[in-house]
Amino acid sequence: MSKATAGTETAVESDRAVLRTDGVTKRFGGLTAVSDVNVEIHRGEIVGLIGPNGAGKSTLFNCITGTLTPDEGQVYLQGEDVTDWPEHKIARAGLGRMFQETRVFGDMTVRKNLLLAAQEGGADVGNLLRRPDDSLLARTDELLDYVDLAGLADTRAGRMSFGQQKLLEFAMELMSEPEILLMDEPAGGINPSMLENLIDYIRNANEDEETTIFLIEHNMDFVMEIADRIYVLAHGERIAEGTPEEIQNDQTVLDAYLGRE
Amino acid sequence: MSTSDEDSRGALRSILPPEAVDRFLDTCNDHGWLLLGLGTVAAVSLPVLGLEAGYFMTVITEMFLFAILALSWDIVGGQTGYPSFGNMAFFGIGAYTTAILTKDFAFAFPVAFVLAGVAAVAIAAVIGAVVLRLRGHYFAIATLGVLLAAQQVSRILDITGGASGKILLQTPSGETFYFLFLAVLVVEMGVVYYLSSTRFGFVLNAIRDDEEKATAMGFNTTYYKTAAWMLAALFTGFAGGAYSLFNTFIDPQTAYNGAWNVELIAMALLGGSGTVAGPVIGAFGLHTIIEIVESYAVGWQLVLLGGAVIVTVIGFPNGVVGTLREYASEMDYYKHGGMAATNDDAEVSSDE
Repeated sequence: MSKATAGTETAVESDRAVLRTDGVTKRFGGLTAVSDVNVEIHRGEIVGLIGPNGAGKSTLFNCITGTLTPDEGQVYLQGEDVTDWPEHKIARAGLGRMFQETRVFGDMTVRKNLLLAAQEGGADVGNLLRRPDDSLLARTDELLDYVDLAGLADTRAGRMSFGQQKLLEFAMELMSEPEILLMDEPAGGINPSMLENLIDYIRNANEDEETTIFLIEHNMDFVMEIADRIYVLAHGERIAEGTPEEIQNDQTVLDAYLGRE
Repeated sequence: MSTSDEDSRGALRSILPPEAVDRFLDTCNDHGWLLLGLGTVAAVSLPVLGLEAGYFMTVITEMFLFAILALSWDIVGGQTGYPSFGNMAFFGIGAYTTAILTKDFAFAFPVAFVLAGVAAVAIAAVIGAVVLRLRGHYFAIATLGVLLAAQQVSRILDITGGASGKILLQTPSGETFYFLFLAVLVVEMGVVYYLSSTRFGFVLNAIRDDEEKATAMGFNTTYYKTAAWMLAALFTGFAGGAYSLFNTFIDPQTAYNGAWNVELIAMALLGGSGTVAGPVIGAFGLHTIIEIVESYAVGWQLVLLGGAVIVTVIGFPNGVVGTLREYASEMDYYKHGGMAATNDDAEVSSDE
C-alpha cells in the first residue's frame, strides 16, 4: 500500500471519529480517577460506557465536556483539539449532554425549556434579542408531540414527574441537534414501559437525526440491546472494548464486576 | 390539613376560581404593552388633572423611584437568581455623578443625567466581572462589600464633599422629576417585559434555575450575567442621577443607603420577584405603607419593613404575583395529561 493511500485512509478514519480521547488522565489529589483512557466514537454509532461504581465513567464524561480539564491527554471533537476549551464552547461545537440526575429548568415552562435548547443562531446577540420565530415554535410543538408532552407545553417543567422531565431533557437535546450526545445513565430511575419508549427514541434519534450517542449505563439489558460497541472502565482504566457479545464473554470484565482484580 | 382549612380553601375557590385568575393573568401577560400604556396615561394625567407639586407629588415620585430600584434589583436578583445587596452602589455612583457634574463642572442636568447612567454601567462592568464569579451567599456578601467600600470612598474623597456631602440648590422643578422618574420606570418596564419573551430573557431564567445545565447547553453564563448586571446598573444609575437633584442634597449615607437596599429587595420579594409587575406592585404597596407609618408612628417604618420581609418570606415566598400565579395554575398539570404523575411525582412535588 502506497503512502498516499495510507494518508487518505487515516484522514477518512479521523473524519469518522466524532469524538476521540487520547490518553486522558485525571487525578484528584492522590487518586487517579481516569488513567490514560483512549476512546473513539465514530459517526452514527451508539457506544456504551460501563464499569463498576467509581470506575471513572462520569469523570471521563466531565473531561470530555470541559467541566473538568484533564491533567494529561487530549480530547478531539470532530478532529479539533478541544481539551482546553471552556465548557460552553465545546457544547456550541456540537456536543450535547444529558445529566445523570435529570436537569431541566424547573421554574420555566416546558416550551421555554425547549426554545432555549435551540442552537439556531447560537449566541448571536441580535438573534437572542428577538422573539422566537414561528418555525422554532412549530418545532417545539412537533417535539413535544413526539415525546407525548404536548398538553404540558405551558406547565412549569418542575411540576412534571421525573420520567417526564427526562423526556423533556431528551427533547431538548433533539432540539439542539448535537453532533454527538453524551448521556449519563439515561435508563436510571424510569419504569420499564417508559424504558421501552426511551429505547425507541434513542434509536430514532440515532437513525433519523444521525445523532452519534455515547452513553454511560448500569442497566446491562438496556446497554447490551442498544449499543453497537462498548467500552469498559474499572479503576479509571479502560479494561475492555468490543461488541456487546464480546463484552459479555470477556473474562476481565466479569472479574471487574465481581470485584476480582 | 384540618377540615376547616379545607372548607375555607374551598370557599376561596368558589369565590375566586383558579381558572378565572389564570385567565386574568394570561390576559395581563398577553396585553402587557396595553397595560403599560394605560398605566402611563393614568400617571401622566394626574398632574394634568391638577396634582400639584407638594407632598403627594413627592410621595408618588418616590414610588416611581423605588419601583425603578426594585425592578432593577429583580433583573439580577429575581430573573437571574443572583441576590445582590449592593445595588445601591450604582445608585450612589449615579447620584454623585450628577451632583458633581452639575455643581462643580456646570454641566446641564440632562447631560449629567445620561452620564450618571453611563458611569454606573461602566463601573458595573468592572465589578460584575469579579463578583459574578461567586454564587449564592458569597455573591450576596461580596456585593454588600462593594456597597460599603463605595460609601467609604465617597467619605474620603474631596470631590464628593466628604462626609458632609453636597448641597444642590439649582434643581429642576418637582414636576420635572415626577415625569423623569415615570419615564425611566416606563422604559425599564418595557425593556424587562420585552426581554422576558426573548431567548436572552430565557437564558437569564435558566441561569437562575440551573447555571451548570445552562453552561452545558452552550451558554457563556458570565456574559449573560454581566449583561443583566449592567442593565440593572443602568437604570439604578439613572435613578440615582435624578435623585441627588430631586433631594437637593447628597451625602454618603443617603447615596449608599443600606436600609434602602433592604427595602428594595423586600419590595421585589413582596410583589413577586422574577416578574415585571411584581417588583413595581411591591414598591408601590410597601412605599405607601411606609409613608403612612412614617406619618403616624415616626421611627417604626424599619420595624415594619423587617416584619414585612419575614412574613413574606415565610408566608408568600413567591410574592403577590407569584402566589396568584401558583394559585391559578395549581390544577394545570393534571388537566393537561399529567395523570401519570399521580404515581411517581411524590418526589417532585415535595421540593416545590
